[in-house]
Amino acid sequence: MDNHSSVPMIELRHVNKHYGDLHVLRDISLSVRKGEVVVIIGPSGSGKSTLCRSINRLETIDSGEIFLEGEPIPREGKKLAELRGQIGMVFQSFNLFAHMSVLDNITLAPVDVLRKGRKEAREEALQLLERVGVRDQADKVPAQLSGGQQQRAAIARSLAMHPKVMLFDEPTSALDPEMIQEVLNVIAELAKEGMTMLIVTHEMNFARRVADRVIFMDGGQIVEENTPDRFFSDPESQRARDFLHSLHAE
Amino acid sequence: MKTGNIRDFLYEPPGPRTQKRIRIITGIALLGLLALLGLIVRQFSVTGQFDTKYWSFFTKWTTWRFLGQGLLTTLEAALTGSAISFTLGFLLMRGKFQGKTVRGISAFLIEFTRGVPTLLFIYFFFLVVPKTGWKPSAFWKITLPCAISACGVVAEALRSGVNAVPGGQREAALSLGLSERRTFYRIVFPQAFRYVIPSLIAELVIVLKDTTFAYVVSCAELMQNAKVLISNYDAMLSIYLVVAVIYILINYLLNTLSERIAGSQRRSVQMIPEANKGVAAHG
Ligand SMILES: Nc1ncnc2c1ncn2[C@@H]1O[C@H](COP(=O)(O)OP(=O)(O)OP(=O)(O)O)[C@@H](O)[C@H]1O
Ligand SMILES: [Mg+2]
Repeated sequence: MDNHSSVPMIELRHVNKHYGDLHVLRDISLSVRKGEVVVIIGPSGSGKSTLCRSINRLETIDSGEIFLEGEPIPREGKKLAELRGQIGMVFQSFNLFAHMSVLDNITLAPVDVLRKGRKEAREEALQLLERVGVRDQADKVPAQLSGGQQQRAAIARSLAMHPKVMLFDEPTSALDPEMIQEVLNVIAELAKEGMTMLIVTHEMNFARRVADRVIFMDGGQIVEENTPDRFFSDPESQRARDFLHSLHAE
Repeated sequence: MKTGNIRDFLYEPPGPRTQKRIRIITGIALLGLLALLGLIVRQFSVTGQFDTKYWSFFTKWTTWRFLGQGLLTTLEAALTGSAISFTLGFLLMRGKFQGKTVRGISAFLIEFTRGVPTLLFIYFFFLVVPKTGWKPSAFWKITLPCAISACGVVAEALRSGVNAVPGGQREAALSLGLSERRTFYRIVFPQAFRYVIPSLIAELVIVLKDTTFAYVVSCAELMQNAKVLISNYDAMLSIYLVVAVIYILINYLLNTLSERIAGSQRRSVQMIPEANKGVAAHG
């Protein structure tokens, strides 16, 4: 990473969140540098999704601060919408807009939020679809696409906003095995191009391959931060060791 | 996920023995109905309901024109009333998603309009409203109360549609930088609306039926004109029969339309449960 700017792309400071009595995020502090790919790993229920979703405020937090390139992300209002537009998000369940064609899914936000011209937005959308390999599906509705194609279209939809950073919450967990790789390849391609990314995933081989840094969460806490090589071969914490062990046992 | 008719979920498919029993019972029921019909027809002929004097005026063009004018007014009232009730219903539905006070008022209005019989609203417009100095025409005296009476149901239908749109749709739109407002109008509502088209058409049928109360305010719609004919020709049964057939035809057409739309929706919009399969399995 040839990154000399000192302002992190994403920064969380002392973020806490409860669901009733459950303390799902415990004093989370974390930063992602420009161009860095950070992978979050952890057992089910450890708070990975909650952390990911709290960054663009799809989930409210009880305390703490969140910054995008040094700018605090407010809790509501116009500014929040504006900053959300600069943070791409890819969901486990794709969430393509069901009532629109794939192409319209992609042009919607550029036209509506960035006020781009329809023609320009359309051309760019087609390029993006080409890039993720589903250009020939542009005029279909999402239901007509396979899961893997939907997820790649969803990634194209995020990219159309030219986000500064992309968040992925288990992008391949809802996919049949044969479709997982095509989606991971698209994400790996983005990593190569220098996109800043925060990725929650259970795909360990993929994590090892693309991550600059691995964050291991358990019980709402960040238990370990490490390089992928160190993390997968010789983790520092006992909990990470147990977790990796349980994966191999399966 | 397969979305079949609701019956598919409520009943097990019958086995061969049950099917046989169903056939026998259906046969008996049909025979019984035929017997009843025969009895009715006999009774009519005994009392002379088939005399030509009760039916001959249907050969006159003016009779049909008169009924046709009534029908037009009925349709006009039903459509205007539906348009108004859909607008009011939409506002009430939006109110349900606002802050505490607005939500409370909306909830009250929805329950109130749903709970009070249409006829009471009609009497209100007929008896109370004119005393305020505002004197609406007979048309509005029937259309407005029918619309008000339906708006609560419309609001609830729309709300259930909005709630049926998967939350991920809204989240995806917000994450792209759309405002809450734009998200609602571009993403959530268009899908919600498609879900509830059949309910809305059912409500249109109810508004149409409600307009038959127009005799209360002497608005010259189908039912009122039928009454005029009845007193002119002293022929109650034949006219009621013809008018009933007209109402049944209209409502049948509306129902067919609604089923058509629902069917095409099932083919095009039903992708959502599919997309959420993974989430559901994940808990
Ligand atoms: N809306 C909610 N209300 C109450 N509890 C919730 C809610 N959403 C999540 N939780 C709880 O918060 C905890 C963290 O959930 P989260 O979805 O962030 O975990 P996760 O690490 O993403 O797990 P997974 O790997 O299964 O996706 C879990 O115990 C979950 O049951
Ligand atoms: Mg999760």
